[in-house]
Amino acid sequence: MTIIQQMITSVSVGGLYAVLAVGYALIYSVFDFTNFAFGGIMMVSAFSGYFVSNAGFGTIASMIAAIVTGILVSIAVELLAYRPMRKKNAKRLFLMISAMGVNIFLTNLYLSLFGANLRTLPSGFKANTISIMNVQIGTVDIAAFLTSMVALGILTFFLYKTRSGITVRASATDISTAGLMGINVNKVSLIVFIISGTTAAIAGMFFGMKYTVYPGMGAMSTKAFIASVIGGLGSLQGAVLGGFLLGIMETLVAGYISATYRDLFSFGIMIVVLMFMPNGLVGRGDQSKL
Amino acid sequence: MSKLVEIKDLYSYYGGICALNGVSLYINEGEITSIVGSNGAGKSTLMRTIAGDKQIDSGEILMNGEPLPKLVHDVVNSGISLVPEGRHIFPALSVRENLILGTCALKGQEYKRAMSETLEEVISLFPILGKRIKQSGGTLSGGEQQMLAIGRALMAHPKLLCLDEPSLGLAPIIIDEVFDKIIQLNKEKKLTVLLVEQNAYLALDVSDRAYVLNTGLITLEGTGKELAENPSVQEEYLGVTR
Repeated sequence: MTIIQQMITSVSVGGLYAVLAVGYALIYSVFDFTNFAFGGIMMVSAFSGYFVSNAGFGTIASMIAAIVTGILVSIAVELLAYRPMRKKNAKRLFLMISAMGVNIFLTNLYLSLFGANLRTLPSGFKANTISIMNVQIGTVDIAAFLTSMVALGILTFFLYKTRSGITVRASATDISTAGLMGINVNKVSLIVFIISGTTAAIAGMFFGMKYTVYPGMGAMSTKAFIASVIGGLGSLQGAVLGGFLLGIMETLVAGYISATYRDLFSFGIMIVVLMFMPNGLVGRGDQSKL
Repeated sequence: MSKLVEIKDLYSYYGGICALNGVSLYINEGEITSIVGSNGAGKSTLMRTIAGDKQIDSGEILMNGEPLPKLVHDVVNSGISLVPEGRHIFPALSVRENLILGTCALKGQEYKRAMSETLEEVISLFPILGKRIKQSGGTLSGGEQQMLAIGRALMAHPKLLCLDEPSLGLAPIIIDEVFDKIIQLNKEKKLTVLLVEQNAYLALDVSDRAYVLNTGLITLEGTGKELAENPSVQEEYLGVTR
């Protein structure tokens, strides 16, 4: 029966990786750089969720607080750090360095404000596990999996069925022609950063509930970055595929071999995939992203 | 005949290199105006500057007497649509999605009209797009992609349709078809067209008025017929030897 428990844990972690990886992929696909501030945004969101929950509000309220924080911080980072650089035609590499700077800044800001303590974020569910046919399944795992699926579903609907979503996909392929279509590229950037802030918040909340909330928790998003690289940077399908693959394999390695080897394995997988498929599993080079 | 667009003393640079060296011209409403010239004359730069895709370094572009907005998407909003050189359709997006993108500048009622009437008009103008509506743009042939690029621009309800090298890389029979459609749009819909072409013979043939652009300067202007009969144009651009 442990195999079933492992599978449930793995798809729940995989779902969260997938949601986070999509956040990386979206920004990469439109702006050709990796938003390394993502982990910081995820951590800041989780802290907001923690504070609201600590003040006695329920899970929904703390989730909303986390998402609002994620969106606001994500937009602030875009407006303060990235957009001025893009306006001056900064090289992508410098945008990435700036992103790393933002990440370190956020982590240290929260470290100095709130200390390095691990904080427990209560899930708010009545029971920690529910029993289905003798298998104990974590309620947080179920909620994480369902929420990720719903979030990915909403995102897919948005990108493929709405005019704004189509403008995002068009900008991802060719941002200068997108401008010629009357697409306001700054509006697209806001949409993209709102979505990625939301994904960071969702993942931050669930990682907080599963593990703990602390200033260094953003490091977990590195895994999602690996997932998006494995899937193919800038490809949404790739990000989802990479997220689930990584989540599943990691949990299995941790469960059946040793938790010590988990990260070794994740990074190893990335190197092997890139050796043979430099564009990732579904990436097709530069042409068709999203 | 009223002037839709008037360009006064336009300068444009790439780095330190001057691409437009004081260009002045005007485009009459309801006419086809063309700009001919050889490679590197500044035709595409002029086109990109009019469409707002390149900043004006000096001089001005007026539309109905008002200066154009600075940002490219605002220029599209104000009624100028560019069909870029090399078509630049979105290959991963379906034909329908490509057409929807043309409506990005439109809001409310205008958008609704575009998605019903204009979409139907575009498909009746280019029936092949109707047949391929669900296919991704990248699977279309060159000629079909050019039609899609023109259709996409029409979706924005432009007052001025700018076409940059629409004949580039197309088979002669397809070029004729595309140009027939351009003339049809101009005659039936009274659409104002600005055409940039290396194929000077073709451009002058369909134009009401035309300009010759040479290293960033307008060297000649006149009706399409006048320029086509001008000896220096014939020699330099139409390949007539005497």
